[in-house]
Formats: sequence, C-alpha cells, structure tokens
Amino acid sequence: MAGVLIGTLKAIRAPLAAILLTLALGFVLVAFITDDPVQAYRDLLFANFDSVGNFALFLNRATPLLLIALGVIFSFRAGIFNVGGEGQLYAGAIATTVIGVMLGGLSPLILFPLAVAGGILAGAFLGWIPATLKIRLGVDEVVTTLMLNIIVLLFTSYLSNQVIRDTASYGAVSQMLPASIWLPDLPGVRGATSGIIVALVLAGVTWLVLFRTEWGAQLRASGTNLRFAKSVGIPADRRIITAMLVAGGFGGLAGALYVLGIGHRFEQNFSPDYGLVGLTCALLARVHPIGAVATSIFYAMMINGAAYMQISTDVPRSLVDLLTGLLVLLMTARPKLKWGRS
Amino acid sequence: MATTALLAAILEQTAPILLAALAAMITLRANILNVAVEGMMLVGAFVAIAVGAATGSAPLALLAALVASVLMSQLLALMTLGFSADFIVAGLGINLLAAGGSLFALEWFYQSPGGLRPLAFPDIWHVPAGSLGFLPVIGPALEGQSIIVLAAFLAVPLLAVFLYRTPLGAYLRAAGEDEHAARSAGIDVARMKALSLAISGLLAGLAGAQLSMDKLHFFLPDMTSGRGFIGLAATLFGGGQPWITAAASLLFGFFGALGDRLQAFSIPSQFVLMLPYLAAIIGLAVARWRAHVRSRPAKLNARRG
Repeated sequence: MAGVLIGTLKAIRAPLAAILLTLALGFVLVAFITDDPVQAYRDLLFANFDSVGNFALFLNRATPLLLIALGVIFSFRAGIFNVGGEGQLYAGAIATTVIGVMLGGLSPLILFPLAVAGGILAGAFLGWIPATLKIRLGVDEVVTTLMLNIIVLLFTSYLSNQVIRDTASYGAVSQMLPASIWLPDLPGVRGATSGIIVALVLAGVTWLVLFRTEWGAQLRASGTNLRFAKSVGIPADRRIITAMLVAGGFGGLAGALYVLGIGHRFEQNFSPDYGLVGLTCALLARVHPIGAVATSIFYAMMINGAAYMQISTDVPRSLVDLLTGLLVLLMTARPKLKWGRS
Repeated sequence: MATTALLAAILEQTAPILLAALAAMITLRANILNVAVEGMMLVGAFVAIAVGAATGSAPLALLAALVASVLMSQLLALMTLGFSADFIVAGLGINLLAAGGSLFALEWFYQSPGGLRPLAFPDIWHVPAGSLGFLPVIGPALEGQSIIVLAAFLAVPLLAVFLYRTPLGAYLRAAGEDEHAARSAGIDVARMKALSLAISGLLAGLAGAQLSMDKLHFFLPDMTSGRGFIGLAATLFGGGQPWITAAASLLFGFFGALGDRLQAFSIPSQFVLMLPYLAAIIGLAVARWRAHVRSRPAKLNARRG
C-alpha cells in the first residue's frame, strides 16, 4: 500500500511541481495588480463552489476537457502525437448540430443516437486521416493534426455562417437543436450537463481498456516500442490506427455532448481552446486517465474561476491564459544536472 | 493599373507569410518543427505598437519588436535545449504565452481588451512614390511598400546564401540532418539549434511588425490570425528549400489577395483560406509517397509496372 502511494507521488511529482510553480508565479503577478491577492486566488480556485450556478458552469467546463484529455491519452499511448483535439471537437460539434438541425423532424428516439453517432464518427474520421498518413506514408502527425485543426475551423465557420446560421441572432451561431434531444441536466444540479457522468465513466473505462486488456497492452506496446511490438507479432499498425479512431471519437463525443447538453446549438467560438488545454491536462497527468480526471477538474476550476476573480478583484481574467502559457512551456521541462551538450 | 494594384496587394499579403515561412524554414533545417512562429509574430506585433506609441520613434519600435521576438525564441531554446522540454509542447506554450500575455497587458496595463490603438503613431519608412518608375511593372508595385516588405524578399537570397554558401549554414544543416554525425564532427548541435531559433525569432518579429506597423498602426489580440501556421505550411510544402518556400508563400499570398475577388464567383472565402493547409498536407503526403516509391525494392517496382 505504501509502495503504491510512493509510486503515485513520484508519478505526480513533476506535473505537481509545474502546477505549483505556475500558480506561485501567478500569485506574484496578482500581488502586483491587486491589494488582495489572497481573495483573488480564492475566487480563482474556489468561487466555483460558492453557488449551484457556479458549480454547474464549472462542471460544464470540465466535461469537454476530460473527454478530450482521454482521447489524447489513447493517441499518446499509441505513440501518436495528436494535437488535433480542437479540430476533432469542432468536427463532432458541427456534425451533431447539422444532423440535429437538418433532420429535426425525426423522432427523438432515432435522432438522438443519430446525432451522437454523427459527432463521434466525424471526430473519428479526423483522427483517421493523420493516422493513415502516418502509418502508410510516414507523414508527421503533428503537422497533419495542426493543419486539420485550422481546416476544420474554417469549414465550421462556413457552415455556421452560410448554411445552418440562425439569422435572428448575432454572430456565427447555428439554429437551435430541437429541445427533445437535449441532454437532461445532472440530477440535483440545475444547468450542469449530465455529460460529466459520461466523461467520468469513460475515464474509468479508458483505464480498464488501456491497462487491463490485451488490446490495451498491445496498443501501449506499439506506442512504446514499435519495432519490438511488430517483431512479437502485434498488429501494431492496426492498433495505432484504431487508437487514433478512438482518440478522434472522444474529441467528437466532447463536441456532440457540448452541443446536446450545454450549448444546444453550434457557436463558432464556443471553445476557449479546449483542444490545447485538454492536451495540457493529459500531459500534466502523465498520460494517465485517472490523473486526467484530476487535472481536468483543476483546469476547469481555473478557467471558470477566472471570471469570478475578475468580478471581485481587478485582476483580468486573461491571467489564466498567461498562466496556461507558462504552464505549457514549463510542463515537459525537467531539471538537468549537466548543462550544454544535450 | 489594375495589374499594378493586384501585384502590390500580392506583395503586401505575401510579406508576412514569407517571413513566417522563412522563420519556420530556418528551424526546420535544424530539425525543429517550429510551431511557435505564430506566437513570436504576435509578440513582435504587440511590442512594435506599444513601444512606437510610447517613444514616437518607428526605428525604435521595430528594434524593440525584433528584440522581443528574439527573446521569446531564446526562451523556447532555453526550455527545450536547456531543460529538454518537448519542442511541440513548449512551442504551443509560447503561442499561448504570447496570446495570453498580450491580452493580459491590454486588459491590465492599457485597460482596453479590444486592442491597442494609439492616437498618434510614427510612420515606418516606405519606398517613396515615383522613385522606382524606371522599373517596368514591378517598380510601381514596390512603391509605397514598407522597408519590411523589401527585407522579406531580400531575406530569401540571404538565407539561401547563408544555408548553402557559409560554413555556419553548413553546420546548421548538419546539426539538423544527423545530430550524432554532426556532434562527432565537433559541431555544437545545441548552439546551432539555438542559433536557428534566434534567426527564426528575428524573422517572425519582422513579420509581426509588418502586420501592425505598416499600414494599420494598431494591435489586435488575434492580429496574426494563423499567418504563422500558413508560413509553416509553406515551408513544409517547400520541403525547407528557400526558393520553393518563397514560391509557396507567394502563391498563398496570391490566394490571400485574390480571396475577395473569388467571392464574386460564389466560392466562400473559407475554402480559399483552407488552400494553404490542404496544400501542406497534400504536398507532404506526395513527397513522402514519392520517397516511398523510390525506396521500394526494384523487383516490386517492376511488378507494379
């Protein structure tokens, strides 16, 4: 038992140090701006629990973050550096919206599963492209996922501006989805999406699949040592492509659940860079699904709490963007004993 | 005259993309996929306006922008080369830091989250009207362009000479092509990578300064709007070769300048804007496919005809 605890502590030491260092730097910055830095930091982290409304908004932030982080974990465990979370999220969200709006006349019993499946498939398709290019031709997946992110964002901008736009409202916003397929609220918490339950269950499932099944072991083996995996007879190429399909599917599901449970329509700028922050959460958790629950919750607290901090003190909410930048910059760094000659 | 106007528009659209592309190219030759060009550009654009508004001097503003973006590049170099952070993750961190930092400065220091619009801003040097009349077509198009546009097009031959005709350029390429071989030949690989990042920061700073200082004289939080990534796409499409990269940038600048005109043919602008990114993916895939075919055993090739 003690061994497990020490092992866990060792595993989370580096990410914890990065978080604490960033929070400390942020505190110094906040102390410059306001006379009451303690109040500002309390609001940043804990105002999320002051009221049911705040708590609901916080859960709504945590849901897409966790789902994207889980998708990133699948791809990273298979050795694919997938930075396409944002594109997969948007693909899922727009597919669900298009299905929901275009086929609004269908019975909700058919429409709901159709909309969810459409979102997942759209995300999975976006994971399949870089995976296939990587496996078949060796095209760098970082480049393809980065470029696909922008392509998808432009495509959704076209759809939400020209095709399914709600002409009565301002900005690039789609028409509303029929209320019959909205995801119900979390029981007891008004305004919170029940998608958070889906995300939490999937975190457990991800852990089970990756660490307690043969398929997961093969997937991880393909990610850690491709040549070894191939020489012991693991169909590594297929595992990697499937992992990216799953990763994209998670991103797509995040988009689908956002539209069905939180936004009820597609908004072109609905994501405060969930893709990149989700990736951050996964990396901070050392690519572990259970750790990702903790880091996603931490990040959702920060993103949502920034608004309360700005209201109560005069610290701008973009402090969180600044801190995220610092954190991402520091996150993968490790102190080195010897300088130079890397 | 319409040709001249179009040509001038193309040159203007191309300059920041070309600078961003060269910024990504020089690090690509040192085997670094530089995703931080966008962030370094943004820092350059912001510092140019902030310093220009404070001092009233355009050269000083340009210099400050370059210093700031080179510092950002060296921060990236320190984290990645000094503390072995991952290049992609740390590079994305630089982008977030640039976007978050400039927004934070706008909200906190200038109390205007929408952007920074100084009432008076010094003009950067432009090619005087009528001075290049002796050159046909290209002369009039160059008149009125800022000194940074000229620098962008001069940077292509300069970088080509640097990479292929100087010992330092050869070392830099060697460090990128085979790290171990370069190290055993006595090349300081980490220093070469840091140098390539510094040059990258310089070029990205120029790109950012061009965006904010040339005509607009203001800074907006999303001012670079993906031009750093278009530049990256141009470089990848050009396989890191200076002249092909420049040609790709010119092509993307052409599409940018043509974007509005194409809407007349009822092609939505989003599809035109997608072209650079699609071109990058397809260009890379085709390049890899050709390498794939070439390295296939001869017998297989023969059988497939």
